[in-house]
Amino acid sequence: MSQPVTHEELMRYLDGEVGTEERSRIEASVETSTELRRELAVYRAMKDDLRTLKLNDGGPNGSVWNAVNRHLARPFGWVLFVVGALVWAAYGVYAYATSTAFLFQKLATGAVGIGILVLLASVIWERYRTWLTDPYRDIQR
Amino acid sequence: MAPEVERELIRKCKAGDSRFYEPLVRAYEQPGLRLALGMMGNLEDAKDALQNAFVKAFEALARFDLQRPFGPWFFQILRNQCRDQLRSRKARFRLEALDERLELRPADPETGPVRYRERAKAREIIWEALEKIGDEHREILILKELQGFRYGEIAAILEIPEGTVASRLYHARRALKEALEEIGAPYP
Repeated sequence: MSQPVTHEELMRYLDGEVGTEERSRIEASVETSTELRRELAVYRAMKDDLRTLKLNDGGPNGSVWNAVNRHLARPFGWVLFVVGALVWAAYGVYAYATSTAFLFQKLATGAVGIGILVLLASVIWERYRTWLTDPYRDIQR
Repeated sequence: MAPEVERELIRKCKAGDSRFYEPLVRAYEQPGLRLALGMMGNLEDAKDALQNAFVKAFEALARFDLQRPFGPWFFQILRNQCRDQLRSRKARFRLEALDERLELRPADPETGPVRYRERAKAREIIWEALEKIGDEHREILILKELQGFRYGEIAAILEIPEGTVASRLYHARRALKEALEEIGAPYP
């Protein structure tokens, strides 16, 4: 008497994932068992039905490459921008500090520059704190 | 794409040149989109997931083993991305006229409009049943029936032993059968 066919074996048979020997054994069991034949017929019909489904992929013009490329190029662009800006800012500070301008001019200009940076940092910090507690932050659309 | 061409492209991408990533994106975006569509249910969320997965894959290329094929590795990332999006509040499986283009297509003259409508209705019922079953069941059915992957490929994508694929498929098919019975469209 042959071994009973398990559900897993039946699936592998249905999907053509069995070897010749296993296939013969399963086919012999299917021949003799009405229940197994019925089960196989149901899953075969389901398989055929699932294969008729088609997915709407947005057509041939729907490539995501441009969007992906923007994401890939953006960080590199930001790194270049920030590094360049920092170098220029450092050079500007050095050039101004070692220039022949009066000391009060240097101090006043420095105060204006530092004031702008402090204000900018406080706004960014405030926005960040609001974002952390924003219940809608994950909603994109 | 030939494996050696793919390996060469990845090698150049690993060196940081994203220009060589384009052929890979174009080669894998259609099967990737089908997988994402099956998992997300609508084009908008599927494209979001696909795009993010390609970006994550590029960023992870440094850890990619060149001896392995790119496809299953990428589909793993994509599947995790879809799952993350479904878990977060950003998206949920939302079925949206996946068969839209077929519905809009004029009736096939060979089968006739009545038969065509019947088939469209049958597809609609199956989609409805697929929406009812769990994400895990739907995912493996999409990989097998809509994508046509072999068990070995499914095992690699889902990160499960190959022997488990048959068992998962059995449970998924059973769940779909029960969902169809609940809808009132059982198999005879």
